[in-house]
Amino acid sequence: MARETDRDGRAPARRGFLGALGLAAVAGPAAAIEAEGGTGGLPPQKESEAEKRKPRYRETDHVRAFYRTNRY
Amino acid sequence: MARLKFLCDSDRCIECNACVTACKNEHEVPWGINRRRVVTLNDGRPGERSISMACMHCTDAPCAAVCPVSCFYGTADALVLHDKDLCIGCGYCFYACPFGAPQYPRIGNFGGRGKMDKCTYCAGGPQQDNTPVEYLQYGSNRIAEGKLPLCAEMCSTKALLAGDGDIIASIYRERVQQRGYGSGAWGWRTAYKQELSA
Repeated sequence: MARETDRDGRAPARRGFLGALGLAAVAGPAAAIEAEGGTGGLPPQKESEAEKRKPRYRETDHVRAFYRTNRY
Repeated sequence: MARLKFLCDSDRCIECNACVTACKNEHEVPWGINRRRVVTLNDGRPGERSISMACMHCTDAPCAAVCPVSCFYGTADALVLHDKDLCIGCGYCFYACPFGAPQYPRIGNFGGRGKMDKCTYCAGGPQQDNTPVEYLQYGSNRIAEGKLPLCAEMCSTKALLAGDGDIIASIYRERVQQRGYGSGAWGWRTAYKQELSA
């Protein structure tokens, strides 16, 4: 049986197109997932493991005013 | 150390949705995502009741237990936060959460949902406090500014309380004693393994 190759022994160009189509089907959604919730091009400034678990709450005057007014 | 909690006094909630709007505006939450929402039970019938709900920052959080990439972490004041750089959008946390808190930015082909988004208690995420990248990924960080979640601060009837769990519990008890009735702290048994009786 004759093989589907051109005279130089290379596969037809349409196979390249199909390969690119398959790659786009896989890589497209993956790239979209990266874009969602990504840093939008901004440089990441990650906290260390200890920093991100530190207590964040502070009982400031602002917070005390919230508690006081909620007792009315 | 303070244990931060939410408490919705459902006897005061008038379903105005100001908490929902304030949250979306403060954090520029994308279209289709609500970190907080108001649920009305027995709508239009006697005994109608509205409850403002979001992530309750549970003790022993089920979302963290099921996450296959361990993107959740707890802070010293018991907030349950997550790292969007690790999230793969699998959706397990949504199925595990008793409050339906985790949200996803889209439903795409091949099951792609995007990175999970949920209430951060206005405490940002694992990026440095109040940096542009933290705002972009997690929204405003009011806790770092010495404030409380905007949903609670905006509540016109003061139905939604946030802050130190012991203090907001005492505020709720005082209210119940003064008015003579109270339907309990909704969600506290599920989230914090704690009943709140006046």
